[in-house]
Amino acid sequence: MHAARNLRLCTKDCVCLFICPTGATNTETGQIDFDKCLDGCRLCVDACPSGAIYLVSSTYPAPQPKHPSVLETLYSLVRSKAAQEDVAHSVKEGSDDAALRQICTVVETSSRIIAEDLWRESGYIIAQSEATRALLKAMISEHGTMEGFPRTEVEELLSRLS
Amino acid sequence: MDADVRQMTWTELAALCTNLEKACTKQLKEEEARAFASLASFYASKRKAQGDASLDDLLALIEADLSTGYRSANEAANYADDRGAKRALLWGEKATKLLKSLLARYAKQKEALTADTGVFVCEICGFVYVGQQPPEVCPICKVPSFKIHEVKKEAI
Ligand code: SF4
Ligand code: SF4
Repeated sequence: MHAARNLRLCTKDCVCLFICPTGATNTETGQIDFDKCLDGCRLCVDACPSGAIYLVSSTYPAPQPKHPSVLETLYSLVRSKAAQEDVAHSVKEGSDDAALRQICTVVETSSRIIAEDLWRESGYIIAQSEATRALLKAMISEHGTMEGFPRTEVEELLSRLS
Repeated sequence: MDADVRQMTWTELAALCTNLEKACTKQLKEEEARAFASLASFYASKRKAQGDASLDDLLALIEADLSTGYRSANEAANYADDRGAKRALLWGEKATKLLKSLLARYAKQKEALTADTGVFVCEICGFVYVGQQPPEVCPICKVPSFKIHEVKKEAI
């Protein structure tokens, strides 16, 4: 567990700088130095007058179980949203009309956000889960030898997540 | 319940990866987020543009979601009393209706639709807004307007 700052709320001038026993709150980036932060200390979290500091956990519970018919119907929608993004992308690639391209970008962006949210509700709400590890392993075994697959990065990611 | 990557399209995989990228960013896990971003761009690079695609195809897909896709998913979510799924479906269906209306308006007005005005998308729920200034709070998911971004016309 470590403390983190919400940079939109922090006024950059006060008590966390005085109270932190390790100097972790005083950095050139404005963010807390996570490596210097003491696990479970939370002195700055309680002291901040702006409610700008929170704790980031290092362990998470397994995602909520999902009913098979929920998974199935959400996945159909993911499929459809991804197809919409693809069509919008193709129309955009085939046109040099700036207004049409703008509309296509809006559809691509919005469809992607909707698809991501559907995935989120399909058991992929966090990366530290059995489902995500199984997914990454399947990606390596199915696509790992294809040109451009970021294999080393994915293998490192898997070891960080386990 | 593991998804079968063999049956998924490149864009489905890309969206799964950008979702997990965002989840890592929220936990301030930059390296993990970067790895998911690399995977997402790999999958995005695999897809090929279809030369005969049209806005009518797009509208047909959107209409199918609104007539059947969301209905079946809502029935399943209600049956399972899955409030997380109900939330995502409520937001997604509203945003999908706005996409349908955007396409219908574009079909009538063409470039006049966005000639003197901006177009904005909410990064949380996909809410779409045509106007000068986005609302202070997203009408669908209620996030503050700093999460609602303008999509500009790009020069080619
Ligand atoms: S105490 Fe809170 S508001 Fe003050 S500098 Fe620290 S984080 Fe910012
Ligand atoms: S939790 Fe403690 S060690 Fe960590 S930044 Fe805050 S005051 Fe410093």
